[in-house]
Amino acid sequence: MHPAERQTVYRWSFIWTGALVALVGAILLGVAITESAAWAETAGALGLSLVGWGGLVQAVDALALVPERAAAALPIAGPRMLIAGVLVWLGGWGLVAAGIRRRPASSEGPSPAAGAPLYPRLARYRDFYWSTLGAYGGGILLAELVLILLQTFLSSGGPSPELGGASRASSGGGLALAPTVAFAIALCSASLVAFISGFVGASRAQRLSLPEATIGVVYLGIPVPVILTLMERIPSLQLALGYRLREVTYVAGLIGRPELAYWLVFTALVLALVLGINTGFIAAGSGRVDLKLGFELFVARRHVAVFRPSLLLGTLAVLMFGIIPPLLVYFIIRGAEAAVERTRVRALGMADPLAAAAAQNHMKQHEQSPTMMMTALSVGGVGVGVMALIIVLSVMSGFEADLQQKILGTNAHAVVNKYASEMPEYAKVMEQIRKVPGVVGETPFIINQVMIASEGNVDGVVIKGIDPATVGEVTDLPQNILPGGDLAHLEHPDRILPRRGLDDDGAPPKDEELDPIIGTPAKGKAQPTLPGIIIGRELAASLRVVVGDRVNVVSPLGTELGPTGPIPKSRAYRVAGIFYSGMYEYDSKFVYILLKEAQDFFNVKGATGIELKVADIDDARRISNQVVKVLGGYPYRARDWGEMNKNLFSALRLEKLVMGIILSIIIVVAAGLIVATVIMLVLEKRKEISVLKALGVPDGGIVKIFLAEGLQIGVAGGLLGLFSGLSWCVFIEKVGIKLDPEVYYIPALPVRIEPVQTALAVVIAVLVTYLASIYPALKASSVEPVEGLKAE
Amino acid sequence: MALLSIRNVFKSYFLHGKRIDVLRGVSLDIERGSLVSMIGASGAGKSTFLHVLGTLDAPAAGEVFFDGRSVFAMNDAEIAEFRNHSIGFVFQSHYLLPEFTALENVAMPALIQRRDRGGAYTYARELLERVGLGARVDHRPGELSGGEAQRVALARALVLKPALLLADEPTGNLDPTTGEGIHQLLREVNRDLGITAVVVTHNETLARSMPRRLRLAGGQVSEA
Ligand SMILES: Nc1ncnc2c1ncn2[C@@H]1O[C@H](COP(=O)(O)OP(=O)(O)O)[C@@H](O)[C@H]1O
Ligand SMILES: [Mg+2]
Repeated sequence: MHPAERQTVYRWSFIWTGALVALVGAILLGVAITESAAWAETAGALGLSLVGWGGLVQAVDALALVPERAAAALPIAGPRMLIAGVLVWLGGWGLVAAGIRRRPASSEGPSPAAGAPLYPRLARYRDFYWSTLGAYGGGILLAELVLILLQTFLSSGGPSPELGGASRASSGGGLALAPTVAFAIALCSASLVAFISGFVGASRAQRLSLPEATIGVVYLGIPVPVILTLMERIPSLQLALGYRLREVTYVAGLIGRPELAYWLVFTALVLALVLGINTGFIAAGSGRVDLKLGFELFVARRHVAVFRPSLLLGTLAVLMFGIIPPLLVYFIIRGAEAAVERTRVRALGMADPLAAAAAQNHMKQHEQSPTMMMTALSVGGVGVGVMALIIVLSVMSGFEADLQQKILGTNAHAVVNKYASEMPEYAKVMEQIRKVPGVVGETPFIINQVMIASEGNVDGVVIKGIDPATVGEVTDLPQNILPGGDLAHLEHPDRILPRRGLDDDGAPPKDEELDPIIGTPAKGKAQPTLPGIIIGRELAASLRVVVGDRVNVVSPLGTELGPTGPIPKSRAYRVAGIFYSGMYEYDSKFVYILLKEAQDFFNVKGATGIELKVADIDDARRISNQVVKVLGGYPYRARDWGEMNKNLFSALRLEKLVMGIILSIIIVVAAGLIVATVIMLVLEKRKEISVLKALGVPDGGIVKIFLAEGLQIGVAGGLLGLFSGLSWCVFIEKVGIKLDPEVYYIPALPVRIEPVQTALAVVIAVLVTYLASIYPALKASSVEPVEGLKAE
Repeated sequence: MALLSIRNVFKSYFLHGKRIDVLRGVSLDIERGSLVSMIGASGAGKSTFLHVLGTLDAPAAGEVFFDGRSVFAMNDAEIAEFRNHSIGFVFQSHYLLPEFTALENVAMPALIQRRDRGGAYTYARELLERVGLGARVDHRPGELSGGEAQRVALARALVLKPALLLADEPTGNLDPTTGEGIHQLLREVNRDLGITAVVVTHNETLARSMPRRLRLAGGQVSEA
């Protein structure tokens, strides 16, 4: 409409060819670098080059290193390839540049309007404001800094176990919150910062200012995650920043792949910024900051009418039972209805043609428009995504919870020990630990690795010396002992019933002494009272022993010197009980003896360490830090269960995250449907948009109307998905889906509905639909009033 | 001071790279409370002119002052408010919103202002009765005749008591009798409510019944 606006002419064939050529150049460069194995040196600069900072960094780097590098030749092996790559790359950009031209000056003479005042057009969105760029770019950068600083400030404070007392001095003033809690707070604050910057920027500029947003995010936002990602790779960066950012890297490391975490968090912040920009634009579009939706919702509800019982129930039926059965039911009902109606109308027509016409008209009105179908499809799409997300994540959480319960049933929540030494003073230490709030149980232990042998077999196992009186405070061992054994028999080995033949069932236990007649020890009968041992069910099976059988424990680190050198120390034990934890790892690899026995066997004074149970397992890290603090730091240290099983749980979390991302793609696909639906709506309502504008609805109001339409779809889909997902979860939990126990070691599919995660799935869906409708809504607001009014 | 001052307004369309000059330096004053008719051949640019007056379209050059205020110097939000408060439109077609009843359509400008819904409906019902449609308040536009719909559109244009009513061939699609009824209504509105009205029409006899008559030809406006 304003042809004078566009001063440039694009020749797209040139531009695309140039882009392709430049890409080839980049590939050549990549090949050259790969051939000379120079990625390690160039990765940093290249990573930053992506956002345009590389040149600057290189220049600084070069200046700093000029004296050292002067003599060193470039380590590139294939200079020809490199030069060719650079030339092709530059040539490509030359072509792109050649494709952009200035429009030739018009040859027409002066118009009749020459000299008249030019109608002053306001806020064209090709304009560029530095202040807006500052608001957006500064906002995203500020958000990142807030996140990093808050995370560091909130979660540091208590001496971290690895660094002992050393870090206490450096981390003054921290709050020592649990890292995940700190992260939640920091992320919320940072998102808020990003949102507010976007809001302020957009409402001041009264437009979206997409160029500023893009440039701001790319130049000021991306460098931080790039640096964090590169930190793992580049030792000098690690040296410079690693220690300062340790709280940040710790949280990111919880999912095993820190880079993924950095970029996800970055995406979340950009999302917050975009939401802020959008909200600011809409709010300011009506002149004053106005976020109410009254009138707009009134219009939007008439346009899409998602919340009709028939649509909601139909979609829910599809979600619960698949597409085919509800569709069959629907067609049967509609077919029957149509048949009945037709007979009725025909009968009516005999008597009163006018009434029949009215009835026919009524039937016609029942037919649905394509937009209605699209709406139903979009609702269903979002619903499927949310449902899948909820079910899969709940099942994975179920597995995780099951695993966690089994691990924590056998292991302590936290372990206190000393760097490289035993703990003879364990009783005193236990006394001190007892006072730490949050600690609910503690027990001393000695741990070692030994061989265990029965008559039938031999196995390598972990042996643990335990205190039967307190071990139940910390682990589920007492409950896990199978009937027939008894933990108390460790203390009283004389009460263990040795295994005997079937014939002398019920004989008194005294028979265990030497056979009075023969005078030699009879097998399994006439032995001295052996100390007791508790072994796992799987181990018992592989050793082919039962309660009362004798096993030999051999410590390879023997201290007894024999004629041929050190000989392994060996002792005989009697199986006092068999435990079953449900974890194959534990049931096949753990054996327990009395702490006293272990002290004696392994020549340990006191204990190796103390196992703790805490009130809240998610708080274990903070409490164990607290314990170390109470004990006075070095040489004491504490590790929580998460740390001890870090690989396992971070793998699980990563798996869950990746699964969540993959399933979110369903929602993104559904969002594509929503974009299409809302665009169809916009096209359908062009004339009405024009009329609304003529009646005085501001651009922001139009945006609000169509955003509200997209949001209705998202909310309806999200709620349906939530409902059906939860129903399926309850179904799986109550009815159960059997698993092959050989493979999974768990009889049925476990389900655990985590409220936060479930809510997050719905929130993500609503957010994605909201984002998806931004573009069509903006398109709607850019309909000029005259466009629709002339279309007749 | 005139309610509307149009100064040197130019408007061109571009079609296949060719410029069509529709308005060529129109200058004009319209007094407060006046009733003005405008005639001109089809394609002369009457609709274009009216759209420019109502800020629905921007001129290529020139200015329009409303109450001494340059309307095209306003920002988007102010323009929206200006359209909502100060101007009422009636077009050749009724352009009612199909999903809403006659009552809701009439109340729409008030709802846009976020006025209280009950009050808006009460006044809208009054207006509908006044244009003779008290029995049609719950009809959707699809369930109204052309003349009825046009009267609903007129009621909608009046619901916020605008200072200026712009009507673009409001009777173009109607039969002469119905058309005369609409014109009668327009005259009443002008007389009773004191609303300034500019009415574009094809119908010479109807135009002649207006106190002031304008003719648009050759991109220029002249008194007829
Ligand atoms: N969007 C447009 N693009 C090109 N030409 C247009 C456009 N709108 C109107 N015109 C032309 O401008 C002239 C004036 O149109 P209009 O104001 O609708 O006339 P009227 O209402 O007097 O019949 C006509 O010749 C028409 O063809
Ligand atoms: Mg016209």
